[in-house]
Amino acid sequence: MDELLQYIITGLTVGMVYALIALGFVFVWKSSGVANLALGQLVLISSWFTYGMLVQVGLPAWIGLVLVIVFAMALGWITERFVLRPLIAQPILSLITITLGLAYLIEGLVNFIWPKSVAALPHIFPQQTIHIGTAVVSMEYLLAAVISLVLFILLSLYFRYNRMGIAMRATADDQLAVQACGIPVTKIFSRSWMFACVLAAIGGVLMSSIGGITYGLVHTGLKAFSVVILGGLDSFLGAVIAGPIIGLAENVGGGYLTPLTWPGVKDVIPFIIIIIVMFLKPYGLFGEERIERI
Amino acid sequence: MDLPSGIRNYTYDRDMAIFRTKTHWTMLLILFVILGTLPLYIDNHWLSVANLIGITIIAATGLNILIGYCGQLSIGHAGFIAVGAYTSAVLTNRLELPFLVGLISAGLLSGFMGVIFGIPSVRVKGFYLAISTIAAQIIIIWIINHWDSVTGGFNGIVVPPAKIAGITFISQGSQFYLIIGIAILVIFFAKNLARTRVGRAFIAIRDNDLAAEVMGINLFRYKLLAFFIGCFLAGIAGSLLAHWIGFMNTENFRLTESILYVGIIIIGGLGSTIGPILGVIFIRLLEKGISFLAPTLESTFDLPAGFTTGIGPMIFGIVIILFLILEPRGLAHRWQLFKASYRLWPFSY
Repeated sequence: MDELLQYIITGLTVGMVYALIALGFVFVWKSSGVANLALGQLVLISSWFTYGMLVQVGLPAWIGLVLVIVFAMALGWITERFVLRPLIAQPILSLITITLGLAYLIEGLVNFIWPKSVAALPHIFPQQTIHIGTAVVSMEYLLAAVISLVLFILLSLYFRYNRMGIAMRATADDQLAVQACGIPVTKIFSRSWMFACVLAAIGGVLMSSIGGITYGLVHTGLKAFSVVILGGLDSFLGAVIAGPIIGLAENVGGGYLTPLTWPGVKDVIPFIIIIIVMFLKPYGLFGEERIERI
Repeated sequence: MDLPSGIRNYTYDRDMAIFRTKTHWTMLLILFVILGTLPLYIDNHWLSVANLIGITIIAATGLNILIGYCGQLSIGHAGFIAVGAYTSAVLTNRLELPFLVGLISAGLLSGFMGVIFGIPSVRVKGFYLAISTIAAQIIIIWIINHWDSVTGGFNGIVVPPAKIAGITFISQGSQFYLIIGIAILVIFFAKNLARTRVGRAFIAIRDNDLAAEVMGINLFRYKLLAFFIGCFLAGIAGSLLAHWIGFMNTENFRLTESILYVGIIIIGGLGSTIGPILGVIFIRLLEKGISFLAPTLESTFDLPAGFTTGIGPMIFGIVIILFLILEPRGLAHRWQLFKASYRLWPFSY
């Protein structure tokens, strides 16, 4: 029973981080209809950038982290301006494949600047462990969960009360109507990409401060896809709820299935969930079912 | 289809022919002669490049039927190639079955896996399908990596050379004939498929699947058929790859490889037979050029250590992005423009 509690707590906290990364995807999808398949690579490059700032340049943690946010925003802006904007109103196939090209480009860039395959971030968060019942949880996990939770709350407030946030929701609803109201849609697109990159960066820092920087971070980004698929592509609430579910399934399932199957089953469970969801309920738990007309 | 002035078709057969004029036939003959004698004047190194191009053409043609004709985005092509490669490897190494059995069953098993992972395509499309094929690839590679007793796991598996009717294809030259022979058959098949009822149904589904269904095209059947054909060819390519390299581990089938295949057909041009061929030649030669130039550049200009590993993916990424922005119809479109201007020369239209 001991390990079950452990798995549940780890799963929930990791799941929150997945949900955070997934939110970035949902932003972009809802506002501009672009499926961002470069999510994993965005997580990867921001983590390496953090490494570069904190370890290679040797900045104090808080300056470094602010710089990471600035970097992520710049990355999002550049991506939207020079990669996605020329393709506005192109077929969905082009929009998906161009993010694949972006993924390739970022991966090359990471290989180019940081030729190592593994690195550890300095400890940004305190290292103590906390005992919850019989489970031992490190502060890092708890802080990751708390930070994610705070960000969820901030984002929902932003979307509820900020003018720009309301404009973004409106764009998601109806692009033409928004344009008619005089809201600059391209600005919304670029804002949503900046959001996506910042969320990916925060997720990346949280994940890599726990597990170090490896190529596995790309898979973290891919696991965020299972969150959006399970939650429904166009639902913020879905992503927030599906994140912990995926985290739980991964950790509890991984914990109990590894002896029965092969090692590494933990990392495949989110993808098995994708396939199952595709068969049973392809639009996810909270996704809007598209009804098409000819 | 445009013909040079003064040439008319008087029969339906002639109008439908792929090669219609004497010039076409002469050029085809010249191409065959060049291909047939290629091993005589290029060395083993370039032959291996040609072999890789041949194998990639087979796989890319399969993916083009799936994406370019039927419009079903698949980003797990390397996974299906892996299924083919390992099927063939296991059958010929562990069970010592003949190569041809391995080749055919590689195609069939790959196609079967494609159909299974393609079932969601009946209800969803676009991004959903992209994700489910990525998931397919990750699951397939995980199974191959851990099913040690059959696939050899991380240690890999040795694959005996291909053997048909007593002839062993072991040198690069002999393998070249095998691979190019199959590649030509595949291209011929793909070209003709596009003109049949099935091919037209695929195109209708790509352009608007609802409209296609209303016209009486059975979506379930045709989408899965597209997945079967696309992945069948991936399996054939995988089998050839396994016998060509002689040793398999999953390093050959990373997710980036799948993305590269999508990039290849984007660069070549979706929905044409010549597209994947041009795309493959372009990408593989670019790859060759980079792997040739990068180490030299790195040592001459004292560039950082990651230059050689990083420059390849960076250039591919940029090429994919630039093609999508500047020339979304790919090299095939350029080729069409060239042919048109050649036919009309010296007039402008």
